[in-house]
Amino acid sequence: MASRALAHCMRSVARASARLNHGNMLTRSACAPLASNQRALSAVSRGQRTRWTDLVRISGPSVHLCRRYGDLPPLTLENIQDRVMYVLKLYDKISPDKLQTSSHFMKDLGLDSLDQVEIIMAMEDEFGFEIPDAEAEKLMTPEEIVKYIADKKDVYE
Amino acid sequence: MWCCCCGQFLQRQKVLGLYRDLLRNIRKIPQESDRRYLRDWAREEFKRNKSETDQDVVRMMVTQAQNHLEDLRKSLALAGC
Repeated sequence: MASRALAHCMRSVARASARLNHGNMLTRSACAPLASNQRALSAVSRGQRTRWTDLVRISGPSVHLCRRYGDLPPLTLENIQDRVMYVLKLYDKISPDKLQTSSHFMKDLGLDSLDQVEIIMAMEDEFGFEIPDAEAEKLMTPEEIVKYIADKKDVYE
Repeated sequence: MWCCCCGQFLQRQKVLGLYRDLLRNIRKIPQESDRRYLRDWAREEFKRNKSETDQDVVRMMVTQAQNHLEDLRKSLALAGC
């Protein structure tokens, strides 16, 4: 008894998804050049299956269905600087009011080399690439970090 | 930190390199709470001993840190991280 009810549900779900798929196929073809778009739509409006058009309402040439790809915004010098300063402000050993782009970690902010290692690791996490040891230990101010990252990521301005 | 005479300078570089390797491996740990715990532990250990001047003690601590790092690497490899 229960299995029959379940089978019935599955069938109706399959039917509904088939309807939606059909609708999706049409919306996909709606992405094609507008000339054929008009004809496809008119064919649909004339067509026999009117039920699923209630689900998928296409309103003529104002439809712009396009794919969107997720990606980070392009890097600019200003963007890099903002992110570097943001990460530094979040670091618990730095007081945000004393922080400037030219502040030296050891001389101005009173940090030690272990803190500097932590800061560079945080920058690696933020920007998503590894900074080799030899170059990491030379970066002593936010400005140097920004310059280094811009250099590595080929950001020119 | 350590003064800049040759042997101690190399020692300093080794310690910083160790700290960095440790942090890099801690990053691979899956659980955030475990990561935080180990990061705090590593920071605490290194900071506490940073003013040590006796070379033998420093060498012993460096060896200890290397062992910890090796253990961490092996555990991560076993866990498949």
